[in-house]
Amino acid sequence: MKNRFAILGASLALALLFGAAAGHDWVSPLKLASAWSGASDMESRLLLVWRLPRVLAAALVGALLGLGGAIFQGVFRNPLAEPYLLGASGGAAIGATVALLVPLGLPGGPALAGLSFLGAWGATWIVLAVSGLHGKPDTAGLLLAGVAVAAMLGALRSFLMLALSDDTMNLQVVLSWTLGGIQTPDGPGLIMLAGLVIAGLLLALSLARGLDLLGLGDEQAFAFGLDPVRFARRAVLVGAGIVAAAVAFGGLVAFVGLIAPHLARWWIGPRHRALLPASALIGAALVAFCDGLARAVLPPAEIPLGLVTALIGGPFFLLLLARRLRP
Amino acid sequence: MMRVACQGLGASAGDTVLLDDVGLSFAAPALIGILGPNGAGKSTLLRLLAGYRKPERGVVSWDGRPLSHWTATERGAACGYCPQQFEPAWNYAVAEIVGLGRDRSPAKAAPLETILEENGLAALAARRWSQLSGGERARTMLAATLATQPPFVLADEPGASLDMRHRLALLERLEAYATSALVIVVMHDLDLALRFCDRLVLLDHGRVAADRAADAMLDDPAFAAAFGLRLQAEPRRPDRDWVIGLG
Repeated sequence: MKNRFAILGASLALALLFGAAAGHDWVSPLKLASAWSGASDMESRLLLVWRLPRVLAAALVGALLGLGGAIFQGVFRNPLAEPYLLGASGGAAIGATVALLVPLGLPGGPALAGLSFLGAWGATWIVLAVSGLHGKPDTAGLLLAGVAVAAMLGALRSFLMLALSDDTMNLQVVLSWTLGGIQTPDGPGLIMLAGLVIAGLLLALSLARGLDLLGLGDEQAFAFGLDPVRFARRAVLVGAGIVAAAVAFGGLVAFVGLIAPHLARWWIGPRHRALLPASALIGAALVAFCDGLARAVLPPAEIPLGLVTALIGGPFFLLLLARRLRP
Repeated sequence: MMRVACQGLGASAGDTVLLDDVGLSFAAPALIGILGPNGAGKSTLLRLLAGYRKPERGVVSWDGRPLSHWTATERGAACGYCPQQFEPAWNYAVAEIVGLGRDRSPAKAAPLETILEENGLAALAARRWSQLSGGERARTMLAATLATQPPFVLADEPGASLDMRHRLALLERLEAYATSALVIVVMHDLDLALRFCDRLVLLDHGRVAADRAADAMLDDPAFAAAFGLRLQAEPRRPDRDWVIGLG
């Protein structure tokens, strides 16, 4: 188990290195090392001030996406459940859109965080209420409920953008959110993001045993001393919080919440005490890598992160779905 | 010693009445069989007794305390409930499933290795659910259910997917466990029920049709009526394990 986590850690380190090196101007590891050790030329300073925070932010958003995905899969007991596919990310984006475009007279930061959270939470609840917690989870029903919610929320978001945007600045921010993209954070932003990841991980770990039990089916989980309904309520709350944080810092990034827990389960097993941190590590490595690609593929333009993850993750999802639909 | 009782219990699904005015009381130690034709309400009764389903009418109490006053943790420690269907979403290993059962009350339970050893699962500990046979799955679930030595056990057709030898072994295990606990089992094997249980409750159309000591059940006219069959009873020779009817 320790060795397996060490390999995950090493993969993350490699992904961070790739992310730091990749971009409009590729940088050699040597250059990175000299920038790190305090070289004062322009390029080194740019690396430290611009690229490094961006790479770290990408990894932290990825960790949140991995964690959120692992909680969603645990609650819905389905390896195809994903915050993006089930509309939770879309819900958070609605909240953020409202906070940005509707003059509510509230302080910006807290309103955005609160509304994103409410959006993610509400969307998840609709899906959970439609698909149900009891009995055998039904993959097709769950995904259709998610698709419906995501489509409605997408339409609502487009409407809000069309109706309310006389301020192009905010419209552009919302648009970049929709496509998914890591904003380069300032120092306090980076620290806050790191704090959110740590808090998210601790909260998620407090759910580990309940998620393990829920994986036995709700009746067996009940038999082993869990109140499945009450627990699912709590887990969805934590999951929505984590998804909202990920959306606030990285926009709508598809499929990372699907792939990361999936690889983690394959690599480390189904017990959530190990699965949750492993999902966070894999999610971090994936997004750091994909963000590097997004900056490097079409220089000098930067393609949205959400496009990269969707292009890589879409086939992965279809493969899984095909395997699951065949008996 | 554990006492479990229910009064005026009623449940329905849509327009169909599943259980109607069921009143029963059980005290440890005993092995109690719940019998009845399909759709008689056996599984519903067990779910109500376990607390998984809330009754629409009536009340279930454990040790004189209404079930709604028990916390989930207390309930898990006091009761070993083995539902009819079990299909985990993730491919857990045997040791992980038994461990999850054990951790519902770890203070009272033996170490996991000991439990696996006692249930003949030590060699299977790392084996995953998808790789187990029906008999191995049943043994795993029984080990997980009994891991904390609960004073009260509910099992819904635990032998349904087992061959004759495993079914016999399962009931011998439950019979031994019931010498110091209250064990209530939903069964379809009338012969095994008559042979192993102390007391039998016969359900028919959601009502208690008969509630008797096991050896008196065959003589109750409600018994043959509930199944719509005329039955022939033959004694089993002491050097044989099972009687098979010919013809």
